[in-house]
Amino acid sequence: MAESGDLLPGTLEVLVLKALSLEPMHGWGIGNRLDQLSRNALRVRQGSLYPALQRLLRKGWIRSEWRTTESGRRARYYLLTPRGRRQLEAETEVWRRTAAAVNGILRTRLAEE
Amino acid sequence: MIADLLARLRALVLRRRWERELGEEMAFHLEQESEVHRRAGADPETAGREARLAFGGVDRYKEATRDASGVRPVEETAADVRFAWRWLRRSPGFTLTAVAVLALALGAVATVFAVVHAVLWAPLPYPHADRLVRIYEQNSPTNIWSLSVVDYQAIRDQQRSFDAVGAARFTSAELSGVGQPEEITAVRVTSGFFTALGVGAAAGRLIEGSDEPVGASPVAVVSDGFARAHWGSPGAAVGRVLTLDGLSHTVVGVLSPGVEELAGMRASVWPVYQMAAPTRRGPFGLRGIARLKPDVSLEGATRDLAAISERIYPIWESGFKDKVARLTPYPLRRTIVGNAEGELGLFGGAVGLIFLVAVANVATLVLVRASTRQHELALRATLGASRLRLVRLVLTECFVITGLATALGIWLAAAAVSVIGRIAPDLPRGGEVSLDGTTILVALALGAVSGLVVGGAPAIGVLRGTLSSWREDTRRAGGGRRVGRLRGILVASEFALAVPLLLAAGLLGRSFLALVRVNPGYDPSHSFSVRMALPAARYPDSLVQDFWRRAVLRVSSTPGVLAVGLSTSPPPDTHGDVNNFNLVAHPVPEGGAEPVAPWPLVTPGFFRALAVPLLAGRGFTDADSVGTPPVAIVSRSWADHYFPNEDPVGQQLVEGGCYACPRTTVVGVVGDVKYEGLEGNGDAVYEPMAQSLARGAALVVRTADDPALSMGPVLDQLRTLDPAMPLRGVPMADDLREAVSDPGRWTTVLLAFGAVALGLSAIGIFGLMSYVVRRERREIGVRLALGAEPRRVAVMIVGRGMRHVVAGTLAGLALTMLEARWLGSLLYGVTAHDGITTVAVVAILLATASLACLLPGFAAARLRPLEAIATE
Repeated sequence: MAESGDLLPGTLEVLVLKALSLEPMHGWGIGNRLDQLSRNALRVRQGSLYPALQRLLRKGWIRSEWRTTESGRRARYYLLTPRGRRQLEAETEVWRRTAAAVNGILRTRLAEE
Repeated sequence: MIADLLARLRALVLRRRWERELGEEMAFHLEQESEVHRRAGADPETAGREARLAFGGVDRYKEATRDASGVRPVEETAADVRFAWRWLRRSPGFTLTAVAVLALALGAVATVFAVVHAVLWAPLPYPHADRLVRIYEQNSPTNIWSLSVVDYQAIRDQQRSFDAVGAARFTSAELSGVGQPEEITAVRVTSGFFTALGVGAAAGRLIEGSDEPVGASPVAVVSDGFARAHWGSPGAAVGRVLTLDGLSHTVVGVLSPGVEELAGMRASVWPVYQMAAPTRRGPFGLRGIARLKPDVSLEGATRDLAAISERIYPIWESGFKDKVARLTPYPLRRTIVGNAEGELGLFGGAVGLIFLVAVANVATLVLVRASTRQHELALRATLGASRLRLVRLVLTECFVITGLATALGIWLAAAAVSVIGRIAPDLPRGGEVSLDGTTILVALALGAVSGLVVGGAPAIGVLRGTLSSWREDTRRAGGGRRVGRLRGILVASEFALAVPLLLAAGLLGRSFLALVRVNPGYDPSHSFSVRMALPAARYPDSLVQDFWRRAVLRVSSTPGVLAVGLSTSPPPDTHGDVNNFNLVAHPVPEGGAEPVAPWPLVTPGFFRALAVPLLAGRGFTDADSVGTPPVAIVSRSWADHYFPNEDPVGQQLVEGGCYACPRTTVVGVVGDVKYEGLEGNGDAVYEPMAQSLARGAALVVRTADDPALSMGPVLDQLRTLDPAMPLRGVPMADDLREAVSDPGRWTTVLLAFGAVALGLSAIGIFGLMSYVVRRERREIGVRLALGAEPRRVAVMIVGRGMRHVVAGTLAGLALTMLEARWLGSLLYGVTAHDGITTVAVVAILLATASLACLLPGFAAARLRPLEAIATE
């Protein structure tokens, strides 16, 4: 199984950005949120989040800091940077257009069948 | 971009912390996950398993995260370096040799670069230094000399090309009033000298125009070092008084710290130059320094000065007949470093060649060595290492070697540069040499290039040869024909580069021997000289002759003294005390340049003191004095040059361009003495000191025994005449040795270089042939087993090695054509294309190379056939 599961390459990163756009979260929280948001439709290996987070850190779209959780544990939280926010908007736009186009094509085919 | 770099750096530099945090983060994740399962009712064990299942392999994702952190290439390189280091440490002999050879060569190149950079290329340390010129008198493309007071004053008053013009005169002066009396170098300067250069005073003021008229209170500027040594600080020096040649000078200013040399002249005391009104065009001896106006070119200034030359010529025509002489400006930089250019060029060339030989040598060693480990490399290849990975491995090793060598070489260069003043005291601008950023950059670049060259050859070997041969035939795995040829070329080029070095060493050695064998024309053993100067302040003109007479009398009555004489320029005078003259019998055409010759003024005892034979006519006597007609004694060479078919005795000449003066008559001929260094042609004209007013002369003393024994008593006798005079006796033999010290030094340096190059080349061919023998063990074994004579096998190996050597030597001979122009001026008694030297050099080279090939040849001949065939 590929680390991005059944996702298209690069999709995991966008989803992580989306999850972080709501509030800073730690790794487990991000995974959990992705499950919720997708209503468990998109399953990814939880471990594959971490290489993705590392890549996002290197691109400067997120940053990390150690914080204390509500239950008093130490955990690494990830925060969206302003550049990350712009990136998310741009990616969202691209995704919307691509999805619309793909949907259009797929519908046409259905009609012909 | 920056975020990426920071993230990577963090992961790299804070490696441990990065790992720990990643572990902690993933552990936290698993706990959170299992907590969820526990809340759903699972027992802790099941919850943990479920959590790990959902996570999908902690180690795998740790690894993936590490990959994503982007430090993998750096880490791999570090691992390569560590591996290379371990591998190099396993053969310390090879590693040390390679690093030492390269480091020495690189250090030498960096040092020479620093020197050339600072001396030849860097602008002089004055503002807008490109506008500074030195003005000379010139009457032919090659004959230039310094200015006279007339010249300087005419330029100062009439020029339109310069912002400032100054004059300087190098003198030695007797310094008293501060500490022991001593003789120092003092440069007398006009105010324009400092203005033209654009230097300022650190304390007080510099020389000003109001100090210059004769009669003004004499002042002097001193260097920072001089001020600190005598009065503690620059500020305390201003207003002090020092006595130069008996005349009080007030210190008015101090130069900036570190300024010990101005316009190529090194001095710590710079007194004002007060010029008496000239009575004739000469004498010459002033350095004219000027600063061009921003809008005036050198050509413009040349025209301006030429016009001035023509205007002043008629005024002084009676005493100066050289109508074509022109005042001519030259860029100051060129006049200061001009002489150093040839020598530095030669030295730089030699060092450059040594560096190339060293690189070729290390490359050969590495290449031969790489071929011996082809099995290891082939094994790695079969185990799955990609070719690129193997190339990287081989390259890394070479870069570790050259990296170490570069660091060591830069360190060596720094050490060498810091003592450059002591190594080469005569180097102009020596104080400005430093290991600057440019030099370090050049050294790094050279190190990197040598790394590529050294590593490139085995890397190509890995790419092309080793692996394929491994597959074809393990025992024949020699790195392929191409690599074999590369090795041959490398070794051949070592010899090619060694040839010019050896030839230069041989030529310089021969000219040194020729110089040493030159008959100086006098007997330097059992004689010494004492320089004396009579300052005008303590010795008015009327007392000068009297002092010299009493000095000769006093010393000649000292026990152990055989003969005593005085000369204003004792041999081998290299300062160039010359005079121009015109023969009454054969005058030069009107307006032409008059011939010149060394012109010592001597006392009658001089010739006996140096054992110079009288060949014709008479010697000087005490009767030749101010009141009697002027007379001269000439050397045999002079007589042969100017009166080849006539009797020189009785001939008359006009001296110093003084046509109004009485003619000088030649009364005698003596043996040749070499003046102007040992390269001089033997010409000389002697005149009696008693007929001129000479304030400086050397007392030449001939002793019965060791001159060192008589030196003390003689100096004591002189001190009774004048206790204040600084005195020092120098054996004549020392002076003579000094005259050949420069060629001697050059010969030593180049012989050392030549020897190093020869040694390296020999190591190269030895290494290569040893390798060949090792590689062809089996083949040689078969030959021996089939009955080949061992001697013939040895000859075969030597012959194969000598093919490379001969090819290299031939290429090297072609290279020597280029070096003639550097060597020409340094040679004496031998030309740059000397046949005997060339043959000798080639013979030495071939002999050494054959010896180096003979050792592996013998090794081949001694092989036991069966063992050689059986073993791998």
